[in-house]
Amino acid sequence: MGYYSLRLCAGGGAFEAVPSPRLTLHLRQVKGTLESNGIPVVDARVMLIAQLQREVTLSRDGRVLIKTRDNDEASVVFHRLRKLLDLPEVEDRA
Amino acid sequence: MDSAEWAHCKIRRVRSVPPMSRGVMLMSGGIDSPVALYYMLRQRHEMVAVHMDNRPFTDDSPLEKVVDHLRALEGAFGRKVPLYVLPHGPTQITLMRNTDRHVGCVMCRRFMWRSAEKVAERELASFLVTGEALGQVASQTLSNMRSATASVQLPIVRPLIGFDKQEIEAVAKAIGTYGISTRPGLCCQAVPDKPATRTNLVQILQEEERIDVEQILDECVRRAVVM
Repeated sequence: MGYYSLRLCAGGGAFEAVPSPRLTLHLRQVKGTLESNGIPVVDARVMLIAQLQREVTLSRDGRVLIKTRDNDEASVVFHRLRKLLDLPEVEDRA
Repeated sequence: MDSAEWAHCKIRRVRSVPPMSRGVMLMSGGIDSPVALYYMLRQRHEMVAVHMDNRPFTDDSPLEKVVDHLRALEGAFGRKVPLYVLPHGPTQITLMRNTDRHVGCVMCRRFMWRSAEKVAERELASFLVTGEALGQVASQTLSNMRSATASVQLPIVRPLIGFDKQEIEAVAKAIGTYGISTRPGLCCQAVPDKPATRTNLVQILQEEERIDVEQILDECVRRAVVM
């Protein structure tokens, strides 16, 4: 069973959730799940852009970018996404 | 002497140098490119800026930073620097879907150079400029620079090639662009997990056989916006 780490991205403008080990997300399936839960999704073909409380991008390799600089807000958004998509937990490695 | 005085002093020092030639500068919104542009403007080269707009793999912040960098430098030198904004996101999507992700950064750079060269043709510019410094990031190893720049014919000027990060940052602070560059922004989401630090041109050319380079480039340049 893998886990996610949630951290501020290198540019400092968003939080990224990085799975370890890497996952393979089936984007078409993910898009269907999100849309069936009323979440607007744009399919950029190599990644999805979903509008939760904040804009979120999901890559095929499981990386998730949450466009907020607020740690608490990022945690809430990722928690919701994790429940919807049955993603692994965030592990605090500190 | 404060930063503004320092910059003004440096600018004044080279006022007597005659105008040189016209170049095209790749501007990313980062720390290095405005410093490189500063040195080119200081030598009185006539510059045209190109920004490769990487949305949706970034947000609006790189473009906003480039606009602010140019505003700051235009103010310091009293000269207008035209800005071409070229859509790079669709190119990234094509590369991600069709080529080896491991060499994605080099492939991306090749398209940036080609696009800049197209702008240079249009602007009658005779050289290209970048803020690259050797070995700073994955795309800036010698072999990757070689693989990337083999895509263009025009000479490439790298004013910062021998600088280290601290030196570049010191100049950026002195000329007033550091604060703009370090504003929060999204990191590029198209960067692969483990970007190749050593590539060879044969491998890159093989990867490019999987895509229609000219069609991608034509579409990118056709949709350029001049600011």
